[in-house]
Amino acid sequence: MVGTFNRLGWCSALTELLRFRCLLLSLTRRDLRVRYAQSMLGIAWAVLQPFSMMLVFTFVFTRAVVGTSLALDENLPYSLYAYAGLVPWTFFSSSLNNCLNSLVANRNLVTKVYFPREVLPLSCVAGSLVDFCVAMSVLFLLGLYFHWTGQFTPDVGPAVGFLPLIVLIQLGLTAGLGMILAAANLFYRDVRPIFGVVIPLWMFLSNVVVPVRSDGSVFASIIAWNPLLSLISAYRDCLLHGRVPQASGMLYACVASVLTFIGGWAIFRRASYRFAERI
Amino acid sequence: MTTPRVRCKNISKRFRLGDHHESLGDLIAAGIRKLIRPRPCGRRQAGDDGALLWAVRNLEFSVQPGEALGVIGPNGAGKSTLLRLLAGILRPDEGDLEVQGRVTALIEVGAGFHGDLTGRENIYLNGAILGMSRAEVRRKLDAIVDFAGIGRFLDEPVKRYSSGMYARLGFGIAAHVDPDVLLVDEVLSVGDAVFRLRCMEHMRRLLREGVALVFVSHQLDQVQSICERALVLEAGRCAFDGPSREAVAQYLTAMSYGFAARPTDLTATDQRDPVVADCQLRFLDERGDEVVWIRADRPLWAELQLRLRRPVQNLIVELNLRASPQENLLSFNSGRSGKTLDFGVGEHTIILNVPRVPLAGGQYFWNVRAWDADQSVTLLDTPLRFPMVVDDGGKATGKLVLEHSWHVDPTQSADGAQSETPGTTGVRYAVEESSLAIAAP
Repeated sequence: MVGTFNRLGWCSALTELLRFRCLLLSLTRRDLRVRYAQSMLGIAWAVLQPFSMMLVFTFVFTRAVVGTSLALDENLPYSLYAYAGLVPWTFFSSSLNNCLNSLVANRNLVTKVYFPREVLPLSCVAGSLVDFCVAMSVLFLLGLYFHWTGQFTPDVGPAVGFLPLIVLIQLGLTAGLGMILAAANLFYRDVRPIFGVVIPLWMFLSNVVVPVRSDGSVFASIIAWNPLLSLISAYRDCLLHGRVPQASGMLYACVASVLTFIGGWAIFRRASYRFAERI
Repeated sequence: MTTPRVRCKNISKRFRLGDHHESLGDLIAAGIRKLIRPRPCGRRQAGDDGALLWAVRNLEFSVQPGEALGVIGPNGAGKSTLLRLLAGILRPDEGDLEVQGRVTALIEVGAGFHGDLTGRENIYLNGAILGMSRAEVRRKLDAIVDFAGIGRFLDEPVKRYSSGMYARLGFGIAAHVDPDVLLVDEVLSVGDAVFRLRCMEHMRRLLREGVALVFVSHQLDQVQSICERALVLEAGRCAFDGPSREAVAQYLTAMSYGFAARPTDLTATDQRDPVVADCQLRFLDERGDEVVWIRADRPLWAELQLRLRRPVQNLIVELNLRASPQENLLSFNSGRSGKTLDFGVGEHTIILNVPRVPLAGGQYFWNVRAWDADQSVTLLDTPLRFPMVVDDGGKATGKLVLEHSWHVDPTQSADGAQSETPGTTGVRYAVEESSLAIAAP
């Protein structure tokens, strides 16, 4: 028996979501098809987006700007450093950007069909995950290229095994925030411009293209609360340096991810009863 | 008695009008106002109450498996809100609502279609939106394509579909979900007549299989033909719950009273000083009682009441019978019938008598027009048509019924024993004149 309105319980919420997993896949497939259907380069854009950003930042920080000392590591070309940060960052920011619009853009579905509304932001995250996987494979090619030019000695070790865990942590964080943003943007459309301001700031506070200060100052200790900072460092550690990611940072990111996901889902479900009338 | 699929216990749904914090600025401003004046004063509270709209109020009903419940009512009566409540899209503010089993709501055909995707991809997507698994859609794909009749357009993007194809595909998918509860909202008005019939047939089949159907429509004949029971909603409340025939009659009566209550709507001539101050049309049976339900093959008296503000010599009255707002079936013109109407100021009653109503069952509308023939001035042309429902016991389809009979030619019949009496013509038409009578003012 499915009582239409006894759906607040977590157990029933989860079973319902499982029942609609096909919808999650279908919507993800739709988003990907539509995104790449009428573009000439198709899925290549998943790579080109972080890749072109990498070129821009490489040009800016190694050629155009004076006074920056980006001697990060003798053995690590800046391009590789930037790309390894930009790929997970693009996953994070484009997921959130798509989540933000997911409910409003599917107004027709929200007001006319019943299904668990979580499916809409979650499918955005899933779509970006596909892009992320494609872009990640290019990191491997980029590493080979720099190895061939002699600028980089890959140090691939068992630490790569941490990658799925890092991705999982990022998924939880992104999905939780995405659900909050989707619901918030449905009620208050100001969320979008605010998001547009916050996201570049967040990027520069997350070690994506330039390292943030870690000199023990008050400012540095505030920045350290950013879970993305630990995550992006962890990606570089296990992919480029062959190091096991820092345990404290990973633990913190993990807790933040679980809390964000559960909190975000709870907020989303509570708000979802008003979606159809307030959209 | 089986357990009902849908059970509503006193459900209500309200909407707040205005007073939405649409932007963060409003929200912050409201928050600051609340901080400054934590206790709302009387004026604010009154304002809050005034901005509430009860879209659905205290509805109580249940639908059994295999039962079809029609929901009719004027625009804004809460029909769509009710359906959205049943579908789970909205949540009732008061009362209990229990829906058992798989619910499929057809609130808009093709909601969720993506124009850039092909018909096939949209079938999978829409199937998933309606809760079907991919394997289930694959199994039913042929049936859906066949039902929708899109054939070779299956792999074309749906943005190139005609609106009819779009609607057919949308209904075709929803029809194959195998729901336990099917909610249909005014979707059969799209698509051609053949497709509409096919949809009705499909819904009847689902009903036989034990689906509970809630059917919202303005097509009263559709409601009657598919639902045994119907609700009449008025301003969110249930005005009637019972056999669909009576519900339709009840609704039409309420509607025609609603028309009569607004005489300004009726005198649609753009005169500053209308000559016809009021116009009402009633239908009477043999006993002179007012009826809304007209029996086919029986006499009809249509009583037209006019109130004139100045005397009119040589008034011509025309009653037009329409099957739909555009389609004129029959005209009854007093001038052409040779009746001269010379009326003074005040109330006048004109009765049109048709000895036998030559109509098939269904819904019809009357339009009333009046001229001053001497001065060739139109005095009245009602824009809203008076509704009338004809009941023929389901004997005929179409609109008009002519007296006729069927015969078999015995010379060519293989089995002569079954033939009719020879010599009668194939079809005999009987034309009876309508007559106009004038009651004393």
